[in-house]
Amino acid sequence: MGVFACLGSRASSGVVSSRCYKLVPLVLTVAWAAHACSRLSAAGAEPGGSPPETAEAARREESGAAVDFEATVAGVLVRRCVECHAGSDAEGELDLTTAAGLAAGGASGPVIVPHDVTSSFLLERVAAGEMPPEKNGASQALPAEELAALRGWVAAGAPWPEGRVLDLYEQTNELRAGRDWWSLQPLAEQPPPAGDAANPIDRFLNPRLAEVSLAAAPEADRRTLLRRLSFDLIGLPPSPAEMEAFLADASPDAYERQVDRLLASPHFGERQARHWLDVARFAETNGYERDAEKPGAWRYRDWVVQAFNSDLPFDEFLTDQLAGDEVADRDEASVVATGFLRVGTWDDEPNDDLGYRYERLEDLVHVTSTAFLGLTFKCARCHDHKFDAVLQEDYYRMAAAFWPGPITARDRALMGGPSAEELGYAVLGWTDITTTPEPLRLLASGDPHRPRQEVAAGTFSGVPASFHQFAPPAADANTTGRRRQLAAWIASDDNPLTPRVIVNRLWQHHFGEGLCRDPDNLGFNGPLPTHPALLDWLARDLIRGGWHLKRLHRLMVTSDAYRRASVHPDPAAVHMADPDNHLLSHARRRRLDAESLRDAMLAVSGELDRRLGGESFRQPISSEALEGLSMKGGAYTPSPPEDCLRRSLYMFSKRGLIVPMMTTFDQCDTTMPTGRRDVSIVPTQALTLLNNQWVGERAAAFAASLHEQSPTEAHQAVADDRERLTRAWWRAVGRPPTEPERAASEAYLQLASDSATGEPSVAWQSLCLVLFNTNEFLFID
Amino acid sequence: MQVRNGYPCGLSRREAIWEMGGGFAGVALAGLLQRDGFQRATAAEPVNSFTAKPPHLPTKVTSCIFLLMNGAPSQVDTFDPKPALEKYAGMPLPPEKEFINSGGRAMGLLTPACRPFERCGESGLPISGFFPHLKRHADKLAVIRSCHTDTHAHGSALVQMNTGKPIIGRPSLGSWVVYGLGTENQDMPGYVVMLDKRGGPIGGQPNWSSGFMPAGYQGTLFRPTGNPILDLASPEPLGRAGQRQQLDLLAKLNEEHMRARPGGEELAARAASYELAFRMQAEAPDAVDLSQETAAMRAAYGVDQEPTAEFGRNCLIARRLVERGVRFVQLYSGGGHLEETWDAHESVEKNHGQHAGETDQPIAALLTDLEQRGLLESTLVVWGGEFGRMPFSEGTGKPGRNHNPYGFTMWMAGGGVKGGTAYGATDEFGFAAVDNRVHVHDIHATILHLMGLDHTRLTWFHQGRDERLTDVYGTPVLDIVA
Repeated sequence: MGVFACLGSRASSGVVSSRCYKLVPLVLTVAWAAHACSRLSAAGAEPGGSPPETAEAARREESGAAVDFEATVAGVLVRRCVECHAGSDAEGELDLTTAAGLAAGGASGPVIVPHDVTSSFLLERVAAGEMPPEKNGASQALPAEELAALRGWVAAGAPWPEGRVLDLYEQTNELRAGRDWWSLQPLAEQPPPAGDAANPIDRFLNPRLAEVSLAAAPEADRRTLLRRLSFDLIGLPPSPAEMEAFLADASPDAYERQVDRLLASPHFGERQARHWLDVARFAETNGYERDAEKPGAWRYRDWVVQAFNSDLPFDEFLTDQLAGDEVADRDEASVVATGFLRVGTWDDEPNDDLGYRYERLEDLVHVTSTAFLGLTFKCARCHDHKFDAVLQEDYYRMAAAFWPGPITARDRALMGGPSAEELGYAVLGWTDITTTPEPLRLLASGDPHRPRQEVAAGTFSGVPASFHQFAPPAADANTTGRRRQLAAWIASDDNPLTPRVIVNRLWQHHFGEGLCRDPDNLGFNGPLPTHPALLDWLARDLIRGGWHLKRLHRLMVTSDAYRRASVHPDPAAVHMADPDNHLLSHARRRRLDAESLRDAMLAVSGELDRRLGGESFRQPISSEALEGLSMKGGAYTPSPPEDCLRRSLYMFSKRGLIVPMMTTFDQCDTTMPTGRRDVSIVPTQALTLLNNQWVGERAAAFAASLHEQSPTEAHQAVADDRERLTRAWWRAVGRPPTEPERAASEAYLQLASDSATGEPSVAWQSLCLVLFNTNEFLFID
Repeated sequence: MQVRNGYPCGLSRREAIWEMGGGFAGVALAGLLQRDGFQRATAAEPVNSFTAKPPHLPTKVTSCIFLLMNGAPSQVDTFDPKPALEKYAGMPLPPEKEFINSGGRAMGLLTPACRPFERCGESGLPISGFFPHLKRHADKLAVIRSCHTDTHAHGSALVQMNTGKPIIGRPSLGSWVVYGLGTENQDMPGYVVMLDKRGGPIGGQPNWSSGFMPAGYQGTLFRPTGNPILDLASPEPLGRAGQRQQLDLLAKLNEEHMRARPGGEELAARAASYELAFRMQAEAPDAVDLSQETAAMRAAYGVDQEPTAEFGRNCLIARRLVERGVRFVQLYSGGGHLEETWDAHESVEKNHGQHAGETDQPIAALLTDLEQRGLLESTLVVWGGEFGRMPFSEGTGKPGRNHNPYGFTMWMAGGGVKGGTAYGATDEFGFAAVDNRVHVHDIHATILHLMGLDHTRLTWFHQGRDERLTDVYGTPVLDIVA
């Protein structure tokens, strides 16, 4: 054992790929994407030549073969063999991508004897189920018909069309995506279908419901709508006053005006920043042994908030984060944005300096490719990607953009970044520290001790229409300009991935699931989009609208689909036609994330400190929880209580000490980008909400506030118990209690006050705590 | 044509998650789920199911107790005797032995073991004088003397010992085990970690993190007295009766809410989780209530005396947890830094004297106790640090030893382990593993194997890849398997 082909432990075809791009003109590469490679090479590269059938027939004739290589053998070899048996680094020194490679055989000699089925080593290994090797303990033995095809081919003399070079990614098959994979194709131009709906989104969605004869759920009631909208856009519940105003607003555009109010709220940026900071794997310490604080990391967080609030176009948003030090209008803010490249983990005591550099490149390539392209480039560090058309060279082409930066082990005080002098500002940012870096070499199996060919900085070959190498810097440039060029390509109209990825992320935030359900992986192992035409139309609309995200938010939340009730009137029909609600016949019920839950408790208790931005506060953590902390980086000192009532976005994020309350409610790990958090339901959540001291304090404040006269409170008449219950319900869930709820609560207050230790204030506090624990408080319909 | 095969094993991600089960004791949703196929997708889909799962391979082992000697014990002073160190005492390590000198400490001269070894049991397994109690269990131990790891810094090496890689952010061994096997007792966490009072391991939470798996799979920190789990007890003056009243009110309010939302399985699951929490409130303190143990048992573990009180207590609790169906228990010996751990830079005799003194009797008592209760067959016990120590001192008159990732010793005992075994070897100085080298990945593969899990099949799909504890490496050390 030791090495398992399934998970890829070796570089399989670096040389093949280099050949493709060095010897084959770009136009040919483009044609490959359309699966015309074999045709072109066989026909002597005459684009626009004979139609496929003719070429096919001609080649068959030329080769004089009795078997059709393309129809029967090529696919088997591509699917089953060339992942490992390709190029000069080929497994067993056997290259099965060319006729010459086949003829040359491998380390153990010839692999086929033409016309002799019984003496061909290749057939022997395959028939024995030894090739392809087993994967995760499961046999990968070929199906009988594929083995028969190989046998027939060898029996016919193993003909190989002249010039034909097999390419792992020439076509999508059941094992991996090819260059024809949907997310790599240009954005479709399809306009919204005709229909009655005013919102183009609904014109895309409604016909799909009609196809399965499923009626949409009616619009949700106003209370539900405003609660949903408010949590979605600003991450906070509506106040009773806001709720009452909306309920009382009879104007036809009452809802749209709520949308505009919330989009204009400074809290909008806070909410959207939370989503982005997950993707940016943002935390404020380095992790590892000392887990030291990254000074000024919070300024990057504030930059993100501000960017969303000011509706910074997304192309500029990404450009500043990748290359804010290189842009023409560079200023301190744009340099702060490059904190994106600094807020990941950083090892202050690397094991060896060489490995350290490549670990850092992996972090940067991974966060960049995941955040903006929705592809897992990091898989291609050691070998061509197992599932997507990402060559190992593509990984290094992107890595080369970061190579001139401060990625070597230097003075620990710099924390892996440039010095203030190098950067030009004393902030947490990124810049090149040389304009003449040594060439970056591809690493065989990702092993720093096995450098191979040099790789120049450039774009992604999987989008061939815009594939290019980056231009060298001008003689007087301060930086290489590689990141600026990378950002320019990522944001270019020719790259279909970026707009699809960000549109899908926004869709997920509003509808609970993306149109493509894995927002970080639009590749082979991610689910296919449920509505590809809608995704593409929205992506084009984003570009048409100047990459402004607010109008996209507005478009989404004003759709009929967004406004539907979460309970469908005909559950049996849903169960039959669309049990996973792919077609959005009704709204998805969602549990509040950790931050929204904490913020909601503060908002409801009346304690929420709405100050924007600035340094993070350190949430109090019980001494029991602190036992798990190594104190090498210094003791943890919570902030003064008055600073700990701010929104969760501003909670200091320390990699080695995740606040228990937050992680219990699935706050994500910050090592790698996270576009979609897990949502779990475990008893420790119940324990936290029932017994955690901090939560208890919020319940106490909530209870106390019910006993106060508030000039802004909608219900401030006589503060008797009945009135207090009404107030409590309005605050917590935006409505008055029902009679059964009222009866149960009154009985509880009585019971709790009567018990030995009970007194009214304790009983009220306890009741408020129960409200924090209700499903209605935690779930958004 | 675009053909795709969905997730590994032909399952959707959601199905895959539900199918795998495991994790922290949680919502027993099986009934709910079976009633109506899988829970319908929502962003709020709960992602833990907790039924016990059958292993990949036949095994009697149902639990693992991992005794992590934080700070790194010295192999040549514990289980890897090196007569050559006597012979070459006072000489430098041969220059061809290359290594990274961690922390740039002074490099002293080759130094023999500070306490004598004794051949023990029928197997004659050599055990150092640091472990007088453990000696009687020699025939239960499989000592692996050829361990090696990738890094010489405590923080990253601890993370590697726990998660397979020296970078943070991956699920820990315990997470993989509960993911693979589920948990036997729904009222208890499936994966429990008990730290040393002096502090947590360097690196903190990532050492018991669930990484890219849901948070439900992470280790639960367990405190050795009172209410072992954070926020377990209802605050005064409420008490248990008051909490019951709260839960009754909550149930009524949730019922009202659910009545208007038929088919809301996530709502039902969350309501049910409160009853599980209520049971855990009784069950977990019971597990740490050592007043239920006899005086003789407490004495055997050294619970009521120093220096064994703390680790003895933890070992006894570990047995009680295993009895209650907890899948994976990790105990730390050593916490904080330097001499508070096994990090013997100053003096091996003094440091290991202290830490072995704290742990030897409790560990021996644990093995005896497990055996007498018939639990040793079903419980795998693992002992080791994050790396080893150098065969040379830190200078003249400085009898400490520096970090050594190139060779170190671990042992296993109990479930499925061939006792009285010494596997693999370091070179004549005890500097580097040379024969039958066992990387941390191989250790992990072996632990999983003994627990009935094939490390190549235990995968979690994350960001486009079937992730494994052992990445693309690892081979179980079958020679120590009975």
